[in-house]
Amino acid sequence: MTGSASTSEPRWLRFVLITIALAFLAVNLALPLAAVFAGALAKGLAVYRSAIVEPDARAAMRLTLTVAAIAVPLNIVFGLTASWAVTKFDFPGKSLLISLIDLPLSVSPVVSGLIYVLLFGLQGWAGPWLRDHDIRIVFAVPGIVLATTFVTFPFVARELIPLMLEQGRSDEEAARSLGASGWQTFVRVTLPNIRWGLLYGVLLCNARAMGEFGAVSVVSGHIRGLTNTLPLHIEILYNEYNYVAAFAVASLLAGLALVTLVAKSLLEWRFGDSIAGGGH
Amino acid sequence: MTVSVTGLTKRFSDHTALDGVGLDVRPAEFLALLGPSGSGKTTLLRIIGGLDFPDAGTVTFAGENVAGRPARDRRVGFVFQNYALFRHMRVADNIAFGLTVKPRRERPDARTIAARVDELLALVQLPGLGRRYPAQLSGGQRQRVALARALAVDPSVLLLDEPFGALDAKVRNDLRRWLRGVHETMGLTSIFVTHDQDEALDLADRVAVMNAGRIEQVDTPDAVYNRPATAFVADFIGNACRFDARLAGGGVDVAGVRLSNSGPACADGPGVAFVRPHEFAILPAGAPGLAATVRRVAHTGSRAGVECVLADGRIVDVSAPLDVAAGMGDAVTLVPTTVRAYPA
Repeated sequence: MTGSASTSEPRWLRFVLITIALAFLAVNLALPLAAVFAGALAKGLAVYRSAIVEPDARAAMRLTLTVAAIAVPLNIVFGLTASWAVTKFDFPGKSLLISLIDLPLSVSPVVSGLIYVLLFGLQGWAGPWLRDHDIRIVFAVPGIVLATTFVTFPFVARELIPLMLEQGRSDEEAARSLGASGWQTFVRVTLPNIRWGLLYGVLLCNARAMGEFGAVSVVSGHIRGLTNTLPLHIEILYNEYNYVAAFAVASLLAGLALVTLVAKSLLEWRFGDSIAGGGH
Repeated sequence: MTVSVTGLTKRFSDHTALDGVGLDVRPAEFLALLGPSGSGKTTLLRIIGGLDFPDAGTVTFAGENVAGRPARDRRVGFVFQNYALFRHMRVADNIAFGLTVKPRRERPDARTIAARVDELLALVQLPGLGRRYPAQLSGGQRQRVALARALAVDPSVLLLDEPFGALDAKVRNDLRRWLRGVHETMGLTSIFVTHDQDEALDLADRVAVMNAGRIEQVDTPDAVYNRPATAFVADFIGNACRFDARLAGGGVDVAGVRLSNSGPACADGPGVAFVRPHEFAILPAGAPGLAATVRRVAHTGSRAGVECVLADGRIVDVSAPLDVAAGMGDAVTLVPTTVRAYPA
C-alpha cells in the first residue's frame, strides 16, 4: 500500500500534476543548465580549457573566491551573534532587529550596491575624505566585499534563528548553572546543537556570495583582471559575443552551485532532524 | 545551608510574577513550592538559582547576599522540567560537564572525573549507561541523569522544577521515593516546584503554597492540609467544597447550621466556609442542614463515595463509611462536622 485513502488522488490527476512539475523543472532548470554545459563544450575541450585558464578568467575566479572567503566568515560571525542575541535575550528593539536582518532579501540587489556608491563614491558622504586619504572602496575590491556581505548577511541568521528559538534556552541555562562561562556555554553546548543548521546556512550564504551579480555590478566598475568577479566576467564575455568562453566560465559557476546543492542535499538527508530543529 | 529570600518582586511586561515574597528554607530541608500555574513558583525557583534576577528583594545563602550573583557562581544544582540534557553528549559527558568547565586550577584530572561519574551513575542507579546518548534513555532515566549532572558539582542547594512533570504515574511514584532517599543521603537543602499537591504533601518536609505571586502559607504537609491559613489554601489543598457562610462570635453559620470554626480566628461578618468530603455526616431528610439527593454511591475503596446533588444543583462528593445507609435517589441531609471558615 502506498499513500492513505485521504491522500490518494485519481491516477490521471497525479499523472498530470507530476508531469506539470517535471516539465516546469525541465524547461526552467535542466534545459538551461544543459545549455550552459553544451555551449561551453561546443568547440571542444581545448577551447573550453583555454577560456578557463585565460588570465582574466583566473583573476575573476580568484576575486570571487577572495570575496566569498571574506564575506562568508563575516556573515557567520554576524549570523551567530544576531541569532544568539535574538533568541537568548529579551531586549527592546528585538523585533526591529529581526526585520532588519531580512532587509537585504527584500531590497533589490542594485539598490544594495547603490547604497555603497552613495556612501563611499566620489559624490557620496565619505567620498571626499576617502579620496584625500587615498582609500578606494567603490570600484575596488573593498566595495565588492561590502556589497556581497550586505546581500548575503541574512542567510546564516535566518537559518539559525528558527532553530535556536525552537531549542529554547534551557540547555544554556543548565550549562550556566553547572558553572560554565558564556564562551564555554557557546562552544560546548550551543554550537554543537546548531552545527548542521549553521553549515546549511553557510552553504547557502556561500552560493549567493559567489553568484551575486546585481549589487556587485554596481560597485565593481568592471575593471578586467582587477574588479571582475566570475558573474561579471561572464557578462562581459557574453556582451563581446564570446559565447563559448562565456559558457565555459558559466559552467564553473554552475558547477559550484551544483556542488553546493549536492552538499545541501547530503546534509538534509543525513541530518534532516537537526536542521529542521529539535533533534531531541 | 539556609536559603532565605525577602521582599522578592519580579515583574514581566504584562504581569507581576512575584509580589514581595519572603521565605526561609532550613538547612537540609526538603521544601515544596506548590501552586497553580502562573502563581510564580517557577520564577521564585529561577531567582533562587540565579537564572532570573528580581526587580527588588534579597536572596541569601547562609546569610550571604547572592541576589546579584549569576547562576555559575552560586553552586546550585538545577534540574529542569524538560531535563535539558545536552543531546550531543553521552550520559557520562553530561554528568561530567560541570567538572570539565571548571577553571584549570580547580579542574580534577580525567581519572578523578571518570571515577566521580561512575559514583554518580551508581547513585542514580544507572550503572553502565554512561556511553548512551540521552535520546536512548527513557524519561525516568533522563530525569536521573539530569539529577546526577546537577549533583556532580557538589551543590549546596538543589533546585528542581516540576521534577516529575513529564513522567507517567507509575514511574513518578517510584522516582518520588527514590528522590526523597537521595535527598536524605546527600543532606542538601532542596527546593522543588510542583503543581501536584499529592506530590508536595507526600514528599516535602514543608510546603510553601503560592498564589498570584505571593506565598499564602509555609507549613508542614499536615498543617497545610488540616490547618489552612487562608481561604485560598483551604480551597486549593484537598478536595474541599465551598459554601457561603456567616462568621459570628467565633462560630460559623453554614446552611442554617451553627458550627464551631476550625479555621483561624477571624472577625465577625460574611465569610466562606470549606468542608472536605469526609467532613460531612449524612442524616435522614428533614434534619437541619443541607438538603441533598444521592445520585451515586460507589463502594470502591476503604470508604464509600457518595455523590450528592444539593438543592441549588451543585454536586458534592461525600466520603462516608462503607456501611453508609444511603442509596441512589434517597433524599438526605448533609451536615458538616468540621468547617474552616475565612472572611470573604
